Amino acid sequence: MVVGVLGAARAAHAAPAPDDGWQNLAGYLFRDAHGAFSRAPIAGDRPRALGVAASLLNEPPVSPGKVADVEAQLRQLMADNSADDPAIYARYLLARIAHLHRPAETAEVEAAYRAVVTAAPAHPLAQLAAGKLALVLLYQRPDLPVPERIAGAAALAPVAGAEQLPETASSYYRALAEAALYYNVLDDRVLGWLQRADAIGTHDIMTATSLRIQLAEVARALGHREEALGYYRQYLATAVRTDSRYLTAKEHMTDLAKETK
Amino acid sequence: MKRPPLTTVAVLVLLAGTYLYSAGRLLLRRGPAAVDPSIEVIRFAHWQIEPGVREAFDEIAADYMALHPKVRVEQMDIPGRAWKQWLRTGLAGGIAPDLVELASYENSDEMLARYFSPITSYLEQPNPYNADEPDLKDVSWRKSYVAELVPLEGVHYFSTNLLEYYGAPSAMVTVRVFYNRELVKAALGEDRVPQTFDEFVALCAAIQRRADVMHEPVTPLAGSWFNVTKITDSLFSASSQTVALTLDISRDLELTKQEGLINYVRGRWSLATPAVRTGLQTVEAFGRYLASGWSQLNREDAMMQFLQGRAAMLVTGTWDAGGILSQADFPVGAFQMPTFRRDDPKYGRWTLGPLSEANTFAGVPFGITRTSKHPERALDFLRFLTSRKSNAKFSRISTWLPVIKGVPVPEVSEAFQPIEEGYVGGVNIRFYSVEANQVLLQYLYLLSGSTASADVFIARASGAFERVYREELERLTRVSRETLRQKDSVIAGFYQLERGTGLARAKFDRLAANQLTVEAERLRALRTIADYPAAK
Repeated sequence: MVVGVLGAARAAHAAPAPDDGWQNLAGYLFRDAHGAFSRAPIAGDRPRALGVAASLLNEPPVSPGKVADVEAQLRQLMADNSADDPAIYARYLLARIAHLHRPAETAEVEAAYRAVVTAAPAHPLAQLAAGKLALVLLYQRPDLPVPERIAGAAALAPVAGAEQLPETASSYYRALAEAALYYNVLDDRVLGWLQRADAIGTHDIMTATSLRIQLAEVARALGHREEALGYYRQYLATAVRTDSRYLTAKEHMTDLAKETK
Repeated sequence: MKRPPLTTVAVLVLLAGTYLYSAGRLLLRRGPAAVDPSIEVIRFAHWQIEPGVREAFDEIAADYMALHPKVRVEQMDIPGRAWKQWLRTGLAGGIAPDLVELASYENSDEMLARYFSPITSYLEQPNPYNADEPDLKDVSWRKSYVAELVPLEGVHYFSTNLLEYYGAPSAMVTVRVFYNRELVKAALGEDRVPQTFDEFVALCAAIQRRADVMHEPVTPLAGSWFNVTKITDSLFSASSQTVALTLDISRDLELTKQEGLINYVRGRWSLATPAVRTGLQTVEAFGRYLASGWSQLNREDAMMQFLQGRAAMLVTGTWDAGGILSQADFPVGAFQMPTFRRDDPKYGRWTLGPLSEANTFAGVPFGITRTSKHPERALDFLRFLTSRKSNAKFSRISTWLPVIKGVPVPEVSEAFQPIEEGYVGGVNIRFYSVEANQVLLQYLYLLSGSTASADVFIARASGAFERVYREELERLTRVSRETLRQKDSVIAGFYQLERGTGLARAKFDRLAANQLTVEAERLRALRTIADYPAAK
């Protein structure tokens, strides 16, 4: 086993495997990935063409010219076939480029994400796009009153909060709750979003722990005494020893228990 | 022909001698591997040149070689100043040692991905070198650690971007006040450590009084910019704990750096906020007892003052403990910097209680380089190094705190143990950026000496803090944009690799979730910057 895995890491350098490009891309090795994708013939190999574009996007040195080339490659992928998986990914990457890799108006970014969501609403990338769109509405639409920003983002829940990607869904609900708290909005919806995030769950130990504290603190602020006490107890029962918030949370629970006696 | 001067000849001979000696050492070092190909040579490199550490590693390496006669383990201690360049050259040239000490601020994600092997899967298996330990033999290597290697942001052993463990740590350090027991006893009439901040200030005063009466050149506190910030960190934090909770946007009882900066820019706190001002006033209280000229001195100077008996106390990390204990020719004690209680009428109004050190994370992690000729052997040595027996030996010899469950803390290191029964920290004005630290140091002199004044500090330094805090928030958004951009490509890689086996909870899903969270934080910061422009 030991020899197998560590040995494989070495062997990967010697003999390129079919997934080499994607492995490199997943490992932040953008230049290596681009080299791997570009070495082999590309005609008709649409996933590989997507790999060329996805790796070029971050191949150092990153430049506006490269970003423009990537956009052209992705548009070509969509022009050849607008419905297959590489095309869906190309559409998503185009939205990401508009949002993060080159200057663009918010309206263009919003439209690009909506195009991904409407093209294939059940696709995992639609879920990613809906989550990003929620952030645009929450933080990049100063023309909207705060309640409308929050409502617009929350309305994306059927896609952004889909359980096909539970970690992403949990993150989306936490993002909704934290945006509301940032804008000083504290109502039952915030508690509901945190509860949804908690119900979906996350493998990230620290996020899961923080969620329990957030639930307790928000429930307490909303006057939901029993719920808050329950969340404090749950946190205290599951917190790791290295959590420096333990004593503070315990004291908040004790104070709450005393307050209503 | 004119003869060269004798000094020139001497220098040339010395140079030639040094060259031959170095070449000889290098040849001897590589000798066994070249002579006997059946011998596996494992080299491990670190920058911990503090006394005791090298000796501890040497003994553990000797134990390992006794157990595996066909293996030779070589230790390479590289001075910190040369480390970065040495490591980059070694990694790029493919000649890096098998095991290398990792630090999150030294090793970028790209460097980890390219040059180091993840050890996540091995950490979930038991450590075979704990097979004789009934309580650990069936426990995973990761869970054999006291803190179970929780993957917190900023730890050195885990990459939150790559979602992999790359290092297995060996030790833990805290910050303590080291003191000359003879000088304290002479000042107080007994060897007693202060329990409160007032007692600490009173101890400083007693030492100063005695020095004045006896005409001895002794100051209560060894001073340097480095050591003074070790004192202010705990005092600033303890004086503003309840305020930090009101600034905690996400309500998870933890004020992050970004939340602190956002709320600063939103005008929710400033240096003049009473709790923050109180923290500055604590420096007034002890600043007069620092060695004169402290702001121009560095940590080595402060250490020298203490070791020469010219200062009664030195606040520093326990990484210096081995050096202090081995070099001081007087008995040394240590205690945690005392803060104040809630009922302290002067400083305790916004205090919750002692600061928790429970999340002090494990350090000195070694990672396995991809160019290792014997990665399996390197992994095996890493397991041996972090077994209960070896960690006990490491802790005993180095005096550094152990990290493996059940390893007894050496008597000499008992005062270094992290305080677990404590509260969350408050607002520490120096933590919000590197530049904020510089601004604090630049103006800190206003808080020491006979004319010390928190109000003067606030009046003079507020403009500079305002500038650096805003710039830091802007800088964070730029840095964050770069990592978010990179993740767009990385997520595409995971999508292709994992879609056949299911994306739910896979790395694709986890990284996309992480990206969404980080992107939300970035956009929140940008919203703040736009909504709260700097005053003209």
